[in-house]
Amino acid sequence: MSTRSERDGGAPRHRSPGRFVGSALVQLVLVAYGIIVVYPLLIMLASSLKTTGEIFANPLSLIPETVRLVNYVDAWNQANFGTYFRNSIFVCAVSVALILFFGSMAAYVLARFSFPGNRAIYLLFLAGFMIPIRLAIVPLFIMMRDLRLLDTLWSLILVYVAGGMPFTIFLMVNFFRHIPRDLEDAAVLDGAGPFQVYYQIMLPLVRPALATVGLFHFLSVWNDFFFPLIFIRSENLRTVPLGVSTFFGEYTNDWALMFAALSISIMPVIAVYLLASKQFIAGLTSGAIK
Amino acid sequence: MRVFRFLRRPSVAADADTSLPGRRGRAVAIKQHTYLLMLVPGLAMYLAFIIWPFANTIRVSFYNWSGLGPLDDFVGLGNYTNLFNRAPINRQFSNALSNTAQVFFLSTVLSTFVGLGFALILSRKIPGSRFYQALYFMPNTLSVVVVGFLWNLLLNPQFGAVNAVLRSIGLDSLARPWLGDPDFALPSIVAVSAWANMGFPVLIFLAAILGIPSDLLEAARLDGASELRVVATIVIPLLWPTLITLIVLNFIASVNTFELVFAMEGSEGGPFFATDVLGTLFYRMAFGGVGGVYAGTGLGGAAALATLMLVIVLPVSVFVIIYQRKVSHEY
Repeated sequence: MSTRSERDGGAPRHRSPGRFVGSALVQLVLVAYGIIVVYPLLIMLASSLKTTGEIFANPLSLIPETVRLVNYVDAWNQANFGTYFRNSIFVCAVSVALILFFGSMAAYVLARFSFPGNRAIYLLFLAGFMIPIRLAIVPLFIMMRDLRLLDTLWSLILVYVAGGMPFTIFLMVNFFRHIPRDLEDAAVLDGAGPFQVYYQIMLPLVRPALATVGLFHFLSVWNDFFFPLIFIRSENLRTVPLGVSTFFGEYTNDWALMFAALSISIMPVIAVYLLASKQFIAGLTSGAIK
Repeated sequence: MRVFRFLRRPSVAADADTSLPGRRGRAVAIKQHTYLLMLVPGLAMYLAFIIWPFANTIRVSFYNWSGLGPLDDFVGLGNYTNLFNRAPINRQFSNALSNTAQVFFLSTVLSTFVGLGFALILSRKIPGSRFYQALYFMPNTLSVVVVGFLWNLLLNPQFGAVNAVLRSIGLDSLARPWLGDPDFALPSIVAVSAWANMGFPVLIFLAAILGIPSDLLEAARLDGASELRVVATIVIPLLWPTLITLIVLNFIASVNTFELVFAMEGSEGGPFFATDVLGTLFYRMAFGGVGGVYAGTGLGGAAALATLMLVIVLPVSVFVIIYQRKVSHEY
């Protein structure tokens, strides 16, 4: 029952030994779980620099006996990571750009113009929020086949852009509605058309929302495994998660290479997160708790 | 899809309540309806690649269809009754259904409730609170399939780090082939899933707790209520809507479980189907069943399973939306 003594953490009101023990306990729990989060990732990094023999002999050490960067070179070359990265970057860049463009444009219309069906269309978009898109994979697969898009990166892009609409529109409509109308009114009086108003006036004002939506979709597109698994056959069209998956099927005994491959695939995402974690969390929280 | 995980109470409420721009001010009174063109690309893509395939999933579920040729062999509810009556698919279906339910219950405890605990701790201005929040959220950004492969190695019976840790602290008896033991495989996967997702409930609960008016809490404290009492009688009741929402989102995510099982146990949900869930069964029925035990169910069978999963998820989703709307009116 340390709860009472821990209250307010650092705020000193009644400094008692019980309070001190309590907050030490809390810190212990937090640090312990922090270790559970980080330690596996550190083991992955350390193992990626060891020989497979050393991993087997000494799986927990975080400092390799000799640093074998060559694992990365081998994994990179044998798994064709260069190709996978190029594919993932291409799919991500095109998908996120189109999601932001199409989504914000549609959200602007839904937020600012009243016309019959506005509400229905908005709700239709929101419905996409609640249904797992992958359940529609059978007809999507057939559709891509008939469109001759199967085994192309465009099949992924089309699904990601369409699937990105609900979250984008949901968040952006909220943002647009909170922007005062005066600016638009002035621009319209000056003879600006709706697209000009959207592009030159509104878009710069919702930049933070665009950043949140963009970052979020970057991660979900970059990390997606399901659609590449279904749509992509050719080795030279694999995205990073699919590439890692097939690599694991082929090199099951070479642990050093597998850890190197995992590290290669995880690093860009961790890097993005370390750079932008504050914006990411703030953005998600503000989007959620407005 | 992680997308719907981001649907949360207050934002939905804001949408439901904000009236559409009904005032046709001068600015909006644009004579032509050219602005509608701006709606077209997003809406068209959404209709073509989301709504239309969904409608088609439901349609295909009533046909016997191999994926080639016209859709003309109407079998009514035949594909559905197969799931319940026709061996061996019926056994696999009920097994996958029960495993999916277990995933839901276990992960509600392991990630939603534990996440609530962390959020309650972190809400009390602990030194480093923001750091912990960001740290715990980090695995959320990783590809689920990559997380699965990583833990596949870490949980390896001979050379994995998990058993090595247990042995190094003298708990040899606990070391086991986590993923090869039918009793431990599914809980292991749920634990990995909790590791990967913990940051999300923490983030959402924390935001909700910090949104509670502080004078409410202060008043109770001044009245001499213990911290435990404040949490139990004020914080938890106010978190109720958030809790319900997170449980429901976890429900939807559980029904969608696929990548972790695929990466850690293969598409058959080994060992001996102990981790087979609706997602992996659906995958096999749709794409992995050429000439196998699924011969005969065809794509119609897969579509029927997908429709059933939709039927499981949809009412729950609709419930959340309605519930949130109701709650938001009370504020």
